[in-house]
Parts: sequence; C-alpha cells; structure tokens
Amino acid sequence: MSQMSALNDGSLSPLSQRASRCFDNLLESIIVDVASECHRIARLGLDRNLEEEEEELRLSAQARVADPGSSGESNSKNVIDIFGQTHPAIASETFDCMNCGRPVTAGRFAPHLEKCMGKGRKARTKVTRSSTIARNRHSRGSPVTVYAPYSNATNSSRVSNGTTRTAGEEYGDFTFEES
Amino acid sequence: MRASINRPPTPNPDEEPEKELSVQEIINIKLIESGEKEKLMELLRERLIECGWRDEMKALCRAYARKKGRNNVTVDDLVQVITPKGRATVPDSVKAELLQRIRSFLTSVPLEAL
Repeated sequence: MSQMSALNDGSLSPLSQRASRCFDNLLESIIVDVASECHRIARLGLDRNLEEEEEELRLSAQARVADPGSSGESNSKNVIDIFGQTHPAIASETFDCMNCGRPVTAGRFAPHLEKCMGKGRKARTKVTRSSTIARNRHSRGSPVTVYAPYSNATNSSRVSNGTTRTAGEEYGDFTFEES
Repeated sequence: MRASINRPPTPNPDEEPEKELSVQEIINIKLIESGEKEKLMELLRERLIECGWRDEMKALCRAYARKKGRNNVTVDDLVQVITPKGRATVPDSVKAELLQRIRSFLTSVPLEAL
C-alpha cells in the first residue's frame, strides 16, 4: 500500500508499521460496510423515502398554518385531510349515551364511558355494583370465564386485591353484551 | 501451439516480499483467534459513529448516488468514492486509540516469526 510511505516518517518501528497496517485493514472493512449499506439504501430507494416523508411533513405543516378555521385549539387535529375537509380539534356533536342515556358531547364520550361503564380508576366506587354483578355472574359459571381463565384463577385466590376488581370490570363489558 | 495453451504463470498471492506478508498473516490469525479483531472492529465502528464520520460517508454516498442515478451505483463505486476521504478524516484521537490497542496486543502476543 503506497499509503504506508506517507505515514512512515522513516523512523517508524516495525511494530508501529504493523499496527498501522492492522488499523488500515480494520478501517477498510468498515468502509466496505458503509459502502454496502449505502448501496442498499440507494438501490432500494430508502433515502428517497426519507426525503418524501420529510416533504410530506412539511406539506402538512403548511396545511396546518394555512388553515384559517383554527379556533385557538390549533393542534395536529386541525389539518386539511385528503378530501379537503377540516375538522374541529374537539368533536362537538352531541348524542345520547347508550349506556346511561345521558346526552354527551362526542369529544368527551370516551372519558364519559370510563365512568359510565366502570373501566376507569376513579369511578370505581360508583361502579362496584356492576363489577359485583359480573363476579356473581361468573361464579355461577357464566361463559365469560372462558375468555380469561388466568384472571379468573387469580380472582378466586385474591378477592380483596385490586386485580380482582379490574378483571371484574372487564367482564362487565361482556356481561352487558350478553344481556 | 495455441496461445491459450500457454497459461500465464499462476499469480503469486504475495504482492510483497514473502517474509513481511506472512508475519502480517500470522498477526491477522492471532487477532481473529483471540477475538481481539472483533473487539477492535466494534471499538472502531463505535468511535466512527460517535464522531459523525459514518454520517459523513453516508452523505457522500447519497450525493454520489443521486448524481449517478441510484440504480447505476455499485458497491465498488461507493468504496472508491469514500475511501480517500474516509481514510483522511478519521479523527486523530480515534486513530491513536486504536493504534495503541493494536500495539499492546502485538506486544502481548508472542509472534514466533518475529
């Protein structure tokens, strides 16, 4: 390798020379690795994909900025979609909850359901009723137990535990469907 | 006699004076056997990633691929593209660290041919 004479100031010990050659070999392997990876990226067009993704992000950011209808709640939900429609950040339609019958805002439906159907942590006291019902149901051998045999086992052994209640709340969903 | 019958002499794998090359081969074997070569590779790879060298090389490759057309690129092309700059831009500290480790390996392992 002609490179060696460039590195060699004439007084380089054989040890250093050999070390230098080893280093060059290592470096060459790594260069080939990098070249190979870049070759793959080039042939598969992966760098192109990255570019396009960045472009799309930029375009969607533009769309966000250009949208005049943002009512102060300008977050990522206020973008123009592919049909050219914009949707308000928080869905404001009102309908009646099919569980409790109360009128509810669409955007608040999920948190409402949490309390309403007893899946959430906070509303547990209100909900122990339905979880008790669920537990009674499947102590009578309801098919619900088939779905989660493991939880059922722990249920019977750890009654006072919080785990029980969570499992019970899950079963709550099933029992509603059954009825 | 046809020219094809006159085979060219079997190419000599030794490009350099025999003695030096065989020492180098021994060194290489010892490096691999002891597992030190792999450690050195990992170390070098890590350092080169940390200092951004790898990203620089990838950028060079990308630019070259864009110019030449990404389906016209070969691995050899890319190796040729990045080798000169690659060798030149290895940080001195990285090189020194690796050389130090190699040297201590070479002195610790008895090389009979020496």
